[in-house]
Amino acid sequence: MNRPRLPSRRRFLLEVAGAGGALALGLVWPRPRAARAARASATPALLSPAEWRAAGAALERILPSDSGPGAREAGCLNFLDKSLLHEDAHLAPLVRSGLAGLDAVAAARRPGAVFAVLSPEEQDAVLAGLAGGELPGWPPEPPPRAFFDVLRLEALLGFLCDPRHGGNRDFAGWRRLGYPGPAHAAGGYTPEQMRGTAPIRPIWKRRPGREPAAPAPAGGASGHEG
Amino acid sequence: MEAPFDACVIGTGAGGGVALQELCEAGLSVVALDRGPELGPADFDEDELRVVIRDALFSPEQLETFRRHPGEPAAPGRYNQLAHAVGGAFTRWAGWAWRLREDEFRVLSTEGPVEGAHLADWPLSYRELEPFYERAERDFGVAGVAGANPFETPRRLPSGGAGYPLPPHPVRRGAEVFEQAARRLGRHPFPLPVAINPKPYGGRPRCTWGGACQGFGCPIHAKASTLSVCLPRARATGRLDLRPESRVVELVADASGRVRAARYLDREGREREVRARHFFLAANAIGSAHLLLLSRSARFPEGLANGSGQVGRNLMLHHGATVRVILDEPALGHTGFEAFRALDDFHPSDPKRGFIRGGVIAEVSAFTRQPLVYALHLAGDPRLDRGFGEELMRSLEEYPRALTLGSVLEDLPMEDNRVDLDPEVHDADGIPVPRITRRQHPNDIAMNRWFRERLLELGEACGGSRVFPLRVPGVTWIDEEHPVRGGAHLMGTCRMGTNPERSVVDAFGRAHQVPNLWIVDGSVFPTAAGYNPTLTILALAYRAVDHFLRAMRRLDA
Repeated sequence: MNRPRLPSRRRFLLEVAGAGGALALGLVWPRPRAARAARASATPALLSPAEWRAAGAALERILPSDSGPGAREAGCLNFLDKSLLHEDAHLAPLVRSGLAGLDAVAAARRPGAVFAVLSPEEQDAVLAGLAGGELPGWPPEPPPRAFFDVLRLEALLGFLCDPRHGGNRDFAGWRRLGYPGPAHAAGGYTPEQMRGTAPIRPIWKRRPGREPAAPAPAGGASGHEG
Repeated sequence: MEAPFDACVIGTGAGGGVALQELCEAGLSVVALDRGPELGPADFDEDELRVVIRDALFSPEQLETFRRHPGEPAAPGRYNQLAHAVGGAFTRWAGWAWRLREDEFRVLSTEGPVEGAHLADWPLSYRELEPFYERAERDFGVAGVAGANPFETPRRLPSGGAGYPLPPHPVRRGAEVFEQAARRLGRHPFPLPVAINPKPYGGRPRCTWGGACQGFGCPIHAKASTLSVCLPRARATGRLDLRPESRVVELVADASGRVRAARYLDREGREREVRARHFFLAANAIGSAHLLLLSRSARFPEGLANGSGQVGRNLMLHHGATVRVILDEPALGHTGFEAFRALDDFHPSDPKRGFIRGGVIAEVSAFTRQPLVYALHLAGDPRLDRGFGEELMRSLEEYPRALTLGSVLEDLPMEDNRVDLDPEVHDADGIPVPRITRRQHPNDIAMNRWFRERLLELGEACGGSRVFPLRVPGVTWIDEEHPVRGGAHLMGTCRMGTNPERSVVDAFGRAHQVPNLWIVDGSVFPTAAGYNPTLTILALAYRAVDHFLRAMRRLDA
């Protein structure tokens, strides 16, 4: 075989992007972690005030708080902002043009309006149009369905990720789902807990440190042997 | 200049792990190269976003391309569940440890030729592999109950080979529901054999049943792997030179047709070469074929050991029908490990069903173990009218009661299903990436549909409020338009056989054309079988090294 070329990483990025791999890129390329940024600030780092407002309104209709914690309580907006600045930076152009699209559609419906001031019913109708791939007044870019999919993906990532990434604030998403949190570091589960005959203590009820997910049995630790 | 090693192992997953362990313990000097870093328990947490969704721990730089038909452009992406790290994907496996059924070694003679499929018999029988299955089960600590599966090939009784080395684990509620439902239907569920400790074994602790198992590294080494079993044994000999972050880009052949050296890039991207007398290639069905195709020379213009033209062909990935049941009680899918109960009633081939071959069914936690995977699969479910708002929230809240029934189904080998070098897309090192070309044989699609119906019946018998197929195209649902594009069960691409014109390696994994090259990973499988491949990869690796050592000792004598 020929001696391999050893191009710069930048060149690699261009080659892949040129081959139509823009979406793959963010997954392939590790970036500075959004986690630190999200912890450091809960105010917009990437999104403009208008984008921040539109994104917040859309996220709260995707994961509403009407009957329990939703995007608002979990801090999905802050997660999105930091994710688009870091790990998912390749999606930022699509999301930002989509957010502008939301406001454009709102203005077409009601002169002077932006998406965030529409009624929840109107907002849902816009989102349903995006999800269905057709929406009157939508700009040529981005494709409505692609924008909807990315926004929902980021909403769910922010809702259900480990809180270290800046979303799932105070375990709001895990509480809503009924997922009690990671268990390995807390010593795992007992056979009785696996069978549902003993309760599992969720992470938001565990005390800091290494308190087991299972209440410790009398006379011994519940962790692994050996 | 560095003296040649006795043996060089390339790739340190299941097959490479056994090779480096056995070669070191036999007294050979061994250099083992892996393209990824050496991770350990300290790196293994349950951060689903980082480890599973973004896959930033095990293979952050993975890049492949995919297309369905030759002649089409191939789209860059990440398709196969690889792990570029010492220990390979064996670190994050589910632990399912099967022996193949006797008939799975002779598919061509059992079924006869099938149009569009490249069927073959394995050049060895179940009985020839059985002693090595026993060694693998013992070394890696498989927990199970011999004879509990009435459809498995009966185990040899003498010499302590009758049972499993470890008893079965306690069971999770969802698996119990599945087991009871299956019995009501007259089926034969049994404890699924796993290489996970139900009690301390081999110097490793028992499993804590903490949930995050498949897809993750085990933080306490209760799950058997290269990291927990092979590396400690090999290192104890003092004869292992492990070189992480060493990416082999060419096997260099000399004029006589033997491999002389492995050329690799070290962590700084510097080109280096290591010489050895014998080479054991275990880079998986994607990586091994890729490396052989990269290793071109005047003697091997189509790639090393590729005189047959079969290198890269017959790529098999399995497929699986999957059904979701919403119970009226917690299924507890986030506890335990991937699966506790399976059934094989539908495994034996029966052409009257409208297709040949079959596979195994189990209650699995793959899609209910952790919140993100559950939610992301749900979000793509076409049953949701809108996929957002209160409707999505109600589906998310079903998470604790969600039970999943899955299957591992045999896909038929096809010559055009292959790995080759992408002519356009190069990776960060300037190497052409693996290009996957893959369709699904009509037999696969018919089998998948039929198994989906059986899973729906089993799901109904589980009770609960709703039963429906999980419809993630190309993952839990296949059709003509949506073949499986990548998998964790990487098989074919360097098939073993007796005819050097139709196969790449012989019955022991030795390359027909290259006498000092052995392939010890899933790429040597001639057919896929309806079981997870790992225990068979381990057994074949034991058998290859055993054969190699015997031949070497004969020469020395």
